[in-house]
Amino acid sequence: MSRRAARLSRPLALALTAGLALWLVAAYALWRSTASVPAGPSLAPQRFFSDSFLRSSSSYERFLTIDGVLAIVVLVAVLALYARRGHRLMGESAAGRVGTGMMLGMLGFAVVWLAELPFGLAAVWWERGHDVSHQSYLGWAFASFFSLGGTFLFVAAALAIAMGLAGRLGRWWWLAGAPAFVGLALLFAFAGPYLIPNTSPLKAPALRADARALERREGVEGTRFVVEDVDRFTTAPNAEATGLGPTKTVVLWNTLLGGRFPRAEVRSVLAHEVAHLAHHDPLKQIGWLALFLLPATGLVELLTRRRGGLARPEAVPVALLVLIALQLLATPAFNLVVRRVEASADWSALEATHEPAAARAAFRRLGTTSHGSPDPPGWSQLLYGTHPTIMQRIEMTYAWEATRGP
Amino acid sequence: MRLTVSDDLRRGHGSVLFRFWFALPFLLWLSLWAVAALFVVIVNWFATLIQGSSPASLHGFLARFVRYSVHVHAYVFLGAEPLPRFDGKPGYPIDVEIDPPVAQNRWTVGFRIVLAVPVLILLGAFFSNSGGYGYYNEGGVGLVFVAAFLGWFVGVIRGRMPRGLRDLVAYGLSYAAQGSAYMLLLTDRYPSSDPLTAIGPLPVREDPVVLETGDDLVRNRLTVFFRLLLAIPHLVWLALWGIVALFAAIGNWFATLFTGTSPEGLHRFLARFIRYSIHVYAFLYLVGNPFPGFTGAEGSYPVEVRIAERLPQNRWTVGFRIVLAVPALLIAGAYGTLLALLALLGWFASLFTGRMPLGLRNAGALGLRYHAQAYAYLYLVTGVYPYSGPARFSDAGAAPAPAPA
Repeated sequence: MSRRAARLSRPLALALTAGLALWLVAAYALWRSTASVPAGPSLAPQRFFSDSFLRSSSSYERFLTIDGVLAIVVLVAVLALYARRGHRLMGESAAGRVGTGMMLGMLGFAVVWLAELPFGLAAVWWERGHDVSHQSYLGWAFASFFSLGGTFLFVAAALAIAMGLAGRLGRWWWLAGAPAFVGLALLFAFAGPYLIPNTSPLKAPALRADARALERREGVEGTRFVVEDVDRFTTAPNAEATGLGPTKTVVLWNTLLGGRFPRAEVRSVLAHEVAHLAHHDPLKQIGWLALFLLPATGLVELLTRRRGGLARPEAVPVALLVLIALQLLATPAFNLVVRRVEASADWSALEATHEPAAARAAFRRLGTTSHGSPDPPGWSQLLYGTHPTIMQRIEMTYAWEATRGP
Repeated sequence: MRLTVSDDLRRGHGSVLFRFWFALPFLLWLSLWAVAALFVVIVNWFATLIQGSSPASLHGFLARFVRYSVHVHAYVFLGAEPLPRFDGKPGYPIDVEIDPPVAQNRWTVGFRIVLAVPVLILLGAFFSNSGGYGYYNEGGVGLVFVAAFLGWFVGVIRGRMPRGLRDLVAYGLSYAAQGSAYMLLLTDRYPSSDPLTAIGPLPVREDPVVLETGDDLVRNRLTVFFRLLLAIPHLVWLALWGIVALFAAIGNWFATLFTGTSPEGLHRFLARFIRYSIHVYAFLYLVGNPFPGFTGAEGSYPVEVRIAERLPQNRWTVGFRIVLAVPALLIAGAYGTLLALLALLGWFASLFTGRMPLGLRNAGALGLRYHAQAYAYLYLVTGVYPYSGPARFSDAGAAPAPAPA
């Protein structure tokens, strides 16, 4: 190493160390901002589910897991191939540097969509066979194709920002790019509730009263409660908390309503989602995104240098591969965080409702209607589990009861 | 099969005013003839399938039916002036020449009804109307119908059919005649929608807004398959730009009304917007292949609009521009339907063959050229009314546009 290089590398190493330390402090603070939850007693799934259900749900989940793993393998393989050869498609563009990069980015996702189509159709076939999905194959394919349009728009906008910045700032574009993407994520999180299709306000008077009581108790007054019509496509129940500040919203899938779940169980679900809002989980999610994006965009810059950096369109296929690979590698860590967040929301829901029996019943019903395995293998949970397992959630209700005493 | 046009554009005021009533006996006779032709074509199908060419007697009957159909429709849609005869003999101002029977490919004869589906779809873009004209009706108003509707007003008032509208009617009739000849097994040559070869010699014009196509017809299957989705960022950008362009056009209207000439900056901005919109629609409708740029830069796309420098405009036509543009926008709307259907057919063709058929590309280019002219007129980029028919263009009209700012 020359003396000059050594002189340059010392401040760089210092900056990197300081950056890493800051990153670790921020990650620790975010991690600690979500309260940990005591684990419950270990219980046998057979106590809550029949043997036949446990067998069939295990087989159901195994197929989807294998299908998912294969889809990921194909995704990486296709993107690797695209990273090598994708730049040849530059001849299909009459746009300039940024426009061509946008086209290559969109085509990358197009190729991935084509390659993953069989796995998606296989999953639909499996879900239809288990009466979890009602969607026709063609309907699913069309919906998937047209939802790709949204992805294209997002990819085009992201590449316009990144390549525009790379053109102006050179190698340091990612220092401005990551905050810009976080800003965009904040914007989408804010506007997201209004972009969900087929929603209507929660009308059932009893549930509305429950929802209002819960938002008051958790201090998140002004929350919107809406119902999303999904029963044309699926029987699986679900709910989500989304939005920031004045747009905070709880979305209930209509597969939870209309007598499918008793009121007390829906109240448990509502309490869980309201707890997410009370814990500011949508905002924390963006915090984690920021922690991911900063090093990820830096790595994209580093690994695209051989193609001239992200300012050049021929670097876009490589950037896609790097970003998706990093995302896949980070998924287990993300899932760990998300599971902690979900467990905390479960606990807060119990604190709000004081109805552990209703929560148990809801978890049990969630498991049976979505046909998910209540106690999946550890590796599967590590890779894919975005919530505690159904059994862990049931066990938690006993832990909560234990804290209340006899 | 060739369409010949010897019409002199002159029309009788009364003849145009009562055109539909005058045409009723001919339409009635044509429908009776069509019933007979239906039975004859079934026999012709079997005969052609067996012996490989259409029998001369059946061919003669069906050829005469096609010719008569062209005469009657030319009369109804104001493409020609004199009352047609009842026997379909040649000599009408808009006529077709049909070759004697030749050997046909038996496979294409056997599946003719299936192969004709794209033709029927495209005929919808020419002839459909809200009442359903009898061809495939896709819900919009067809180009020929719009041309006749507008030509009716001009004919009643001025006693003439504008050349552009007449040629547009002739273009539609040419495609309909080719389609009929194909479906009735008079030929196995697939109908061409190419406007440059549809009606014989075309007028050479010197318009201030022209479209140039330097495209080689080769299409990349991957970008064709995802064409609609790839165009989404452009469509969003175009919509945003369109909002600004609308305000610029309003400003341009006031400025041109007071000064008689469009201000340089606004002229350039609006010309660039029109150019960009044509790049985007050329990409979307498969008239062009490459992904366009986002700036509408001149010379950046193989399907290019050339817009002349600004010229003084008549203040009266500027003042009433929105009203005057209504007929042009009606035709542009009908061209829009044609473009969408051309794109649909071109999508399948390009996906299977990797090439855009020349006829579809040229028809699409005609539609885009009309759009460019119509919106250039509406936004006061030019004072020259859009020309609705197929035409060739000399270099004299659209002088090179000013260099980008």
